[in-house]
Amino acid sequence: MIAIAPIAKRFGRGLFAIWAVVTISFFLHAVLPSDPARIAAGPQARPQDVAAIREEMGLDRGVLARYGIFLGRLVHVSSETPPESGRGKGAHASCKALGPLHFDLGKSYQQRRGVLTVLGERLPRTMMLAVVALIFQLLFGVTLGSWAAKNRGTFLSRAFMSGSLLGVSLPTFVLGVILQYVFAHRLGLLPLDGYGNTWPEHLKSVILPGLTLGIYGAAYYARLTRDEVEGELKSDYVRTARAKGASPSRALVVHALRNALLPISTAAALDLGALVGGAIVTESVFRWPGIGSLGISALLDRDGPVLMGTVLVTAAAVVLSNMLADATYGVLDPRTRK
Amino acid sequence: MRSTVAIASALVLGCSSELPAPLPQGHPDDATPRRGGVLQTATFGDIRSLDPANLGDGLAPQLVQLIYAGLVDYDRDGNIVPDLAERYEIDPSGTRYRFFLRHGVRFHDGEELTAEDVRRSFRRSLARKTPNAAKSFYFTIQGAEDYANGKADDIAGLKVEDTYIVSFLLKEPDATFLPVLSLQAVRPVCRSAGEAFSADFFPCGTGPFKLQSWRPGERVTLSRHDGYFRPGLPYLDGVEFTIGVSMLAQRLKFESGALDLFRDILQPDLLRYRKDPRWTPYGAYDPASQMAGEGMNVEMAPFDNVELRRAVSAAIDREQYRLVKPTMLHALTQPVPQGVRGHNPNLVCQKYDEAAALEHMRRAGYAYDPVTKTGGYPRAIPYYAYPAGVTEYTSQVLAQQLARIGIRLDLRLVSYAAWLAITHRRGQAAFSYQGWKSDYSDPSNFTETLFHSSAINDEDTNNPSFYANPKLDAMLDAAHKEMDGPKRAGMYDTIQQFICDEAPWAFTYSVSFYNVWQPYVRGYKPHPMWQNEVRETWLDRPGTGRGAQASGRMGHGKEALLAPARSLPRDP
Repeated sequence: MIAIAPIAKRFGRGLFAIWAVVTISFFLHAVLPSDPARIAAGPQARPQDVAAIREEMGLDRGVLARYGIFLGRLVHVSSETPPESGRGKGAHASCKALGPLHFDLGKSYQQRRGVLTVLGERLPRTMMLAVVALIFQLLFGVTLGSWAAKNRGTFLSRAFMSGSLLGVSLPTFVLGVILQYVFAHRLGLLPLDGYGNTWPEHLKSVILPGLTLGIYGAAYYARLTRDEVEGELKSDYVRTARAKGASPSRALVVHALRNALLPISTAAALDLGALVGGAIVTESVFRWPGIGSLGISALLDRDGPVLMGTVLVTAAAVVLSNMLADATYGVLDPRTRK
Repeated sequence: MRSTVAIASALVLGCSSELPAPLPQGHPDDATPRRGGVLQTATFGDIRSLDPANLGDGLAPQLVQLIYAGLVDYDRDGNIVPDLAERYEIDPSGTRYRFFLRHGVRFHDGEELTAEDVRRSFRRSLARKTPNAAKSFYFTIQGAEDYANGKADDIAGLKVEDTYIVSFLLKEPDATFLPVLSLQAVRPVCRSAGEAFSADFFPCGTGPFKLQSWRPGERVTLSRHDGYFRPGLPYLDGVEFTIGVSMLAQRLKFESGALDLFRDILQPDLLRYRKDPRWTPYGAYDPASQMAGEGMNVEMAPFDNVELRRAVSAAIDREQYRLVKPTMLHALTQPVPQGVRGHNPNLVCQKYDEAAALEHMRRAGYAYDPVTKTGGYPRAIPYYAYPAGVTEYTSQVLAQQLARIGIRLDLRLVSYAAWLAITHRRGQAAFSYQGWKSDYSDPSNFTETLFHSSAINDEDTNNPSFYANPKLDAMLDAAHKEMDGPKRAGMYDTIQQFICDEAPWAFTYSVSFYNVWQPYVRGYKPHPMWQNEVRETWLDRPGTGRGAQASGRMGHGKEALLAPARSLPRDP
């Protein structure tokens, strides 16, 4: 039987963490020396025009009043059906409805669309990039790490692990540009940047940014896997398995690697949360329309509602990934189920 | 972000590379324009809105220009000419303008343009709840200000006289009315836009191209408006703007033929394009319509002392500034940049003279001996700028040059948003980088807008040096009303000279951007006001009479060119 109370407790803690992060971000953004109305109006707008836009955006109210409005409309009940586009007039134009329950992060100062509509467009793309990047990270990292553990001390092993240090050290904006130059410009195999219009194009487009993040992150997993697997390979149960006739490969994959998966899966789940929060640099280099590039634009443009939306998504992703990491323990290690 | 990518590109491409050969024309001996083809271009920024009543970014105007036509517009020589209007009349008092519309002008949705549409679009754009940041430009029209503030139900001075005649009554003679009218904020929009602004309006006007699709942050696709009122134009089937493309990616795409025209060019690449004789016929600068200067807040010490301001102005060697980015910057010694009406190359305004600067320091009471390095202004002056690819370097040049006359700077590079807030608020910044880009081509846009006392405000001031002088105000007001062109030009020469001497800013450089296009892009040259003005551009790629054969090979750009782009789908 599933124990409801611990799950509810954990869920409650998660909600509190998300609320705290969003609230701190809200007030930090409010005290920054900047004026969202001025940014929206443009640097050359005249004072009276900026004042009119400030009023139209509701920024002429105090910060506490704005916070109250923000929280009040975050989750509310209404019988109105909001428009799909997130545009238009009316108090619920920027809402997303789940039955009578409405969710609303307001309208973007810059795009004048509902923030939830904007996030709804961006989030699946970021999720796609995050999953592909994580697959590359684990594929390269775990393979290389396991191989290095098995061949510890050899020249090739040392060379690969030194190479992984290079992977960790190479910034994604350099690695990304190198991959663009080689695979898109020189070889013409993959799109240089962008997201594409169709699913086959999306899949082709995600390879280079996914690879950039994959190579960058794989170095960490290679080192983690090597250290963990090395430890496991020295364990009694592996020696026993070998004595009972298991091949070196079977001892490595089925016995040692399986037991090393716990820390690796923990790291992977947490990484997934961070990746969903957006890979700002990689998304910008590859013109990938995800949460990361959205968040940085919102910060630079002081687009408060969008910024709060990206903070909320990032915080929720990290909280959920932590819960996911906890859940994987039970699957991977039966001893933790109780 | 752009700078990191630029560094990366420099690392990757480094000293690479000779430029590839330009892609040839299909019919080099035939200058007859050909119809067809979709022109591909790109920009590194994003576009917020394509509604003329809500333009806040610097990129949208180049698209808005293609979607919406105005009563008047700029021709290729920078003159204001009738556009949707067939002609206009100004009465001798200079306060009444009558516009006679062309007959049979069609919106993108097929409706005919009438004077009532002009009035409706004005009302929509100036209405109280419309987030139009250019409303006050039109307050010269009688009743416009009251209407915009919600104190009146209509714009009293905007009259529909007839189906095709609309007239404007101004509060007083205004020589800037036609330039202001050429701005995009009040261009007629389709009736589907309604009476009031709404963000769900699908952009629709009377311009040469209509909006086909817009994916925010990704791509804007325009297709030819077959009902465009200038017969035979435009030649292109469409234009595709890819958004958010880094400068490096633009270059790579351009070289492969996936972009036909580009202007966001890294400096090393620009040097190559300008040096390579194969490419020089296919590149040109936009007019320099943007300028920069060092803004001195005259309400704050030490710049409340005019002699100290004059010292700064004389201590700056503009040639050293220009060398920071010689492919884009031009030394500037007067408020109006070279590409804007009113710039006078013969005007001796501010100039570099270190001996004079030291003398001004002495008169200011801060004599400095450059040999013993004693004296000068005793405290470091905070100087605010934001990193924009140039200012982080010019601010260091400034610090070095002012150190020679005994002024020390405390350089503070802050974010753009913070710079905007700090330097445009009263009493916050004594010294800062400042700049201005032409809203319309007229000297008043660089003098009155920046130095008239009415431009001062505690917050969001347009006069960041807070310079207020009744004498200058009177000169600016008189020039604003003067309808005699040559006389007005002379008045602005005097005004510029006055501002230079008072030195609320030390004017430093103007900026212009280089355009490069493939030889098969024909009929293109930079427009004096609008970027990517391609109304009269046509494509002449080899191997096709329709001029639309793509040679691109880089992913989506290529597919977009090769695929159905020859004949874009119609609106639903």
